[in-house]
Amino acid sequence: MSPSRCRTSSRIAFLAFLLAAASTPAVAADVAFKLVDQNKLPVADAVIWLVALDPVAAPFAPATAKRSDIGQVAGQFEPFVTAVRAGASVRFPNNDRVQHHVYSLSPAKKFELPLHSPGKADTIVFDKAGVVAVGCNIHDWMSAYVVVVDSAWFAVTVADGGGKIPGVPPGRYRAEIWHPRLPANDKREVAVSEAAAAPVAVELSLKAGFRARRTPPAAGGGYK
Amino acid sequence: MFRLRRFSTRLLILLLGLLFAALAATYIFVSRASFSNAIAHAETNLALAAGIFDETTRQRIEYLAGSAAVMSGDYAIRQVLQQEVPDRATLSSTLESYTQRVGAPVIALLDAQGRLQASSNPGMENENIGPFRYLSEQAAAADKPVASGFAYLDKALHALVVVPLYAPAPNVLGWFGLAFPIDEAIAQRLKSASQVEVTFVSTEVSGPPRVLASTLPADIAQAVAGIAAARMAGPQRYKPSPEPAAAPRAETIELPGDRYVTLFKTQAMLGTPDIMIVLQRALSAELAGARELEGQILGISLVALTVAAIIAFWIARGVSQPVLQLVAHTRHVAAGDYTRRLELKRADELGALATAFNEMSAGLTERDRVRDLLDKNVSPEIAAQLLREGAALGGEEREVTMLFADLRGFTTMSEKLRPQELLALLNRYLDRMSTEIERQGGVIDKFIGDAIMALFGAPTAQGDAAERAIAAALGMERALTQLNAELVAEGRPPLGMGIGINTARVVAGNIGSQRRLNYSVIGDGVNVASRLQSETRKTEFHANIITSAATVAALRVKTCSLRPLGSVQVKGRAEPVEIFAVEPPA
Repeated sequence: MSPSRCRTSSRIAFLAFLLAAASTPAVAADVAFKLVDQNKLPVADAVIWLVALDPVAAPFAPATAKRSDIGQVAGQFEPFVTAVRAGASVRFPNNDRVQHHVYSLSPAKKFELPLHSPGKADTIVFDKAGVVAVGCNIHDWMSAYVVVVDSAWFAVTVADGGGKIPGVPPGRYRAEIWHPRLPANDKREVAVSEAAAAPVAVELSLKAGFRARRTPPAAGGGYK
Repeated sequence: MFRLRRFSTRLLILLLGLLFAALAATYIFVSRASFSNAIAHAETNLALAAGIFDETTRQRIEYLAGSAAVMSGDYAIRQVLQQEVPDRATLSSTLESYTQRVGAPVIALLDAQGRLQASSNPGMENENIGPFRYLSEQAAAADKPVASGFAYLDKALHALVVVPLYAPAPNVLGWFGLAFPIDEAIAQRLKSASQVEVTFVSTEVSGPPRVLASTLPADIAQAVAGIAAARMAGPQRYKPSPEPAAAPRAETIELPGDRYVTLFKTQAMLGTPDIMIVLQRALSAELAGARELEGQILGISLVALTVAAIIAFWIARGVSQPVLQLVAHTRHVAAGDYTRRLELKRADELGALATAFNEMSAGLTERDRVRDLLDKNVSPEIAAQLLREGAALGGEEREVTMLFADLRGFTTMSEKLRPQELLALLNRYLDRMSTEIERQGGVIDKFIGDAIMALFGAPTAQGDAAERAIAAALGMERALTQLNAELVAEGRPPLGMGIGINTARVVAGNIGSQRRLNYSVIGDGVNVASRLQSETRKTEFHANIITSAATVAALRVKTCSLRPLGSVQVKGRAEPVEIFAVEPPA
């Protein structure tokens, strides 16, 4: 998604919000998704967000209202994937025994939290939509993603591939799905109605994933 | 029957023996060549494997040294180190991250004094990084940016490399120590690259030799370790030994299950006795191709031997069968049967032999026939003498008793009888008389019409020739009586016969011309005998047999009655001859 498109859609959403606020009170629904890959295995850690195609009243929620944490625990980022609305801030608490050096080189947000000892928790504001890949300078296997979206309606799928976006007003939406192993975002139109609907089933074609993993020390008969 | 002396057996043995010898020689030659080839090939493989090990180890050390140089220049670790009190846990986890970057299982960080600052492996302590410290001291002493070697890290064999951590160069802030194990995986990789069995053997000062890593089964590897330890002759070296000047020679050693072409390669260690890298190539694997070839040769040999045996048997039969026929034929000939003929339709030498045999049989038949005729025409004794001494003119003087017999009244009879009847009668008479003469060992010299001339004491000397002659005469008389009885029974007139016997020295031998000759005797005594026969015609004597005083004198045993008849004048002789009538003993 290009930044300009993001901006346009956000403008439309804002207009829709104004219109909705002026006319009928919004009746919100929960939109559930169920993601599987080409092997019918559930896809976790995918981010789904909705972009309204009709003018709707988006709920006004300040970007800072909900704060996310990406902790550093036992040499890993926790959680692996975090979705935030543009303008939200994310805290990076070091809950580990060792120091870490968190950084990102992604265009959506370049930042660096220089070598910091356990107990420190710096906060970064993500004001631009986009995918921010986060790493640790001294631990190659540490990896996390912050997916910044221009939408009030988003969710991250859990282990069973399910994700639920709450409080979505009825109407037509474009659903976008991101996953680290998805070559391009999946985009599809979904209609939201007041009636309870079955989860939107989506099959994604994931590429083979490479993720730096921490190998157990002394593997392969080396020094013990 | 399989007899060694038979021609077919010998031919079979000769052919098969020659072929077998040739095939066996080929087999042995190929086998030996294959064996030495296999050894040479194995030795090349071993040298190659040793080279691969050295080169891959060198390359990996070089790579790790390069990686360590990059690591030491890395901004991230400098930040960690730049802190007033570097956090050891963070350092260790950073090094752990680096192990994955550079593919070195072990990374240690030493300070400038060689003390362990941090390591990728939680178990590593300051007291067991001696080899790293040793290398860092070497590098510092030699002022070189890298030092490497082989050592034990926690009893496991490792290749180690140490590079300085500059802050910045030439200020040494500390040392990076990297290591990778020389383990089963390395041994297996070397084996898959070179088809060579690899065993790393530690030869400690005390205790049994230890297998550090091996591609061989544990028990065989332990046996190899024992042999390797024995090869480490002389006192154990504690100092790193210099590189061996000459390439070590491969040798063949026997291990349970197989023989191995083996190369013992010493590898210097840091501060501990050398280890042995034992590179081996199983002979059975090296010889597999050769064994296949040998199997094929063996198969071809067996087929060739079988075919040769069949052909040899066939040829031998072709030769021995006719030979056996010839043998049977010869036996017949030896037994006197010359009538058989060999039927061998062959164009070769055996066919010619059979033809010659048949000709010989024909010749023998001819000779037999001649001999038979000779026997009938001359007496057997004369025939024998002729055959023995040949028919040459000439003779010898010897004492011979001569007997003359003559039919009386034969001329009158010949007028009365038809010639055929006369001949039959004459032959009948002569046959009976001849039988009597021959019975006494006399020799019929000749028949002169109805007269018989016989010799005693010639051609074979007889001591009792006179007795024999007298006995023959008496026997003839008896035989005539018998014949006469038969003739009378047949209605014919009886025959009368007179016999004269004289003993004298005469010349006996072959008499005649070059083309025709007779064995006979010549001399005055012959005439006397003939004359005495004539005397029997004188009726006043009443004697059928008359002999001379010379014969009587020759008698040593008196076998008859002698009646003196006085002396008679013999024609052509001055001296009168005293004669006696011979009569059967009273």
